[in-house]
Amino acid sequence: MKSLRTFIPIIILLVAWEAAARSGLWSRIVFPSLVNIGREFFLFIVQADAWEQIWTSLYRAFGGFALAAVVGVLLGMLMGRSQLVAGLFDPLFSGTYAVPKLALFPIFIFVFGIGSLSKVALIFLECLYPMVIMTYHGARSVNRVLVWSAENMGATRGEILRRVVIPATTPYIFAAFRVAVPVAMIVVVITEMISSADGLGYLVIYSLSSLRTDRMLAMVVVIALIGYALDKLVVLARDRLIYWEKLDTYYV
Amino acid sequence: MPHAQRLAGAGLLLVILVAWQLAALRGLPSYLLGPLEIARHFAAALGSQELYEHAVASLLRALPGFALGTLLGITLGLAAGIARSFDELLSPLVFLTYPVPKIVMLPVFMLWFGIGDLSKILIIALACFYPTFINAYYGARATPRILVWSARNMGAGEALIFRRVVLPAALPLIFAGLRVSLALSFIVMFATEMINARSGLGHLIREAENGLRFDLMYVSLVSIAILGYAGDRLLRFSRRYFLPWEESHA
Repeated sequence: MKSLRTFIPIIILLVAWEAAARSGLWSRIVFPSLVNIGREFFLFIVQADAWEQIWTSLYRAFGGFALAAVVGVLLGMLMGRSQLVAGLFDPLFSGTYAVPKLALFPIFIFVFGIGSLSKVALIFLECLYPMVIMTYHGARSVNRVLVWSAENMGATRGEILRRVVIPATTPYIFAAFRVAVPVAMIVVVITEMISSADGLGYLVIYSLSSLRTDRMLAMVVVIALIGYALDKLVVLARDRLIYWEKLDTYYV
Repeated sequence: MPHAQRLAGAGLLLVILVAWQLAALRGLPSYLLGPLEIARHFAAALGSQELYEHAVASLLRALPGFALGTLLGITLGLAAGIARSFDELLSPLVFLTYPVPKIVMLPVFMLWFGIGDLSKILIIALACFYPTFINAYYGARATPRILVWSARNMGAGEALIFRRVVLPAALPLIFAGLRVSLALSFIVMFATEMINARSGLGHLIREAENGLRFDLMYVSLVSIAILGYAGDRLLRFSRRYFLPWEESHA
């Protein structure tokens, strides 16, 4: 019963949309009917080319995200466990946190070219911040008593890292993944909208320029579904891997 | 943070700047300017009217969007956090659409609200809505029950409990959400201006890119960096004012 009730607002929204589309008050271009959007959606996903476009966007997003995850976790861990490293990098990250890295994109285009590389570089940079900041936060807040007792029982530094620090930090790392994955999707779509000849963001702008708004909205649905599915994937992996702690944060 | 650490941080920054300047002196490609050159161009731009016009145009999009989105987000988030009927109405919708990149709605908004400032302000508001809604929601729900019970025992009404117990308990998370929203509002503002605008810093950087005016590109970049940094500082400052009992980290 509860699961049914959660869908009521969504159903109302969809019905209102269809009513607006059929009322004739607005042009078909402004409010395409759900039927048309659905048709465009299916026409799109049965094409072989569609999967290529999806793959293009996904591998850009994943490339930047994976790089940021590796560098960010390593750097965050180091910052959390060493005062010196924290002193070196903390001012850099907290000082530039609020600066929109997107502004660097035009320069990245000149440095890395207009292909995938400039996009991957920008995604890397945008994802790096949540990864570093949250891993640092997690590694810093490891319970000291646990570290002390491990030391007392004769654990070496390597053992403490593997058995105490890493398990205590992993929930934070997954919280960071959950922030960074949508960021990667946002940046890949934005950069493809600004300058690209392929990928989903480009298809959105291209459909709009050709006044095929039903197709454009079908693209929006595709992007939304991918964003939703990726988030679910992270949650699924988190719930399987981390059984010892629940940290259901969206933002830290 | 101890003194030695601050020194280390400043030292690293200085080393980067000096290395960059030295590289620039040895000759970088024309699209990479050295720090001194950027500073000179920026100082020159500060003297001209044009930069201020673009900066004001940008702020007039980012700030109304930020205000609208966060006000709605905080209000509805708190409402959903304390009232079950709001929770059931709003939360599924918000959490379902949360991981969706909101910027894809820009073309749709352009269609509905025109290609002027309104569609940009609304898309910024939409992006800012989510972090504040989710944080206000969790903040209100994480209010310690004991505090609510004891306030009720001491005869406080619902309104008083909300003002004196729930709101202060939710404020730290609300501020965390505001900080994310502020950063988002600048990102989305810049993106919308790069995609389609006739003024603003994002437009300036696009125009500079097309005209190969690298100096203007860096001027726009430095301006947006300064605005973003100043906004964040202001928010942190007001956080210290509103939350004197909280430690001012994070």
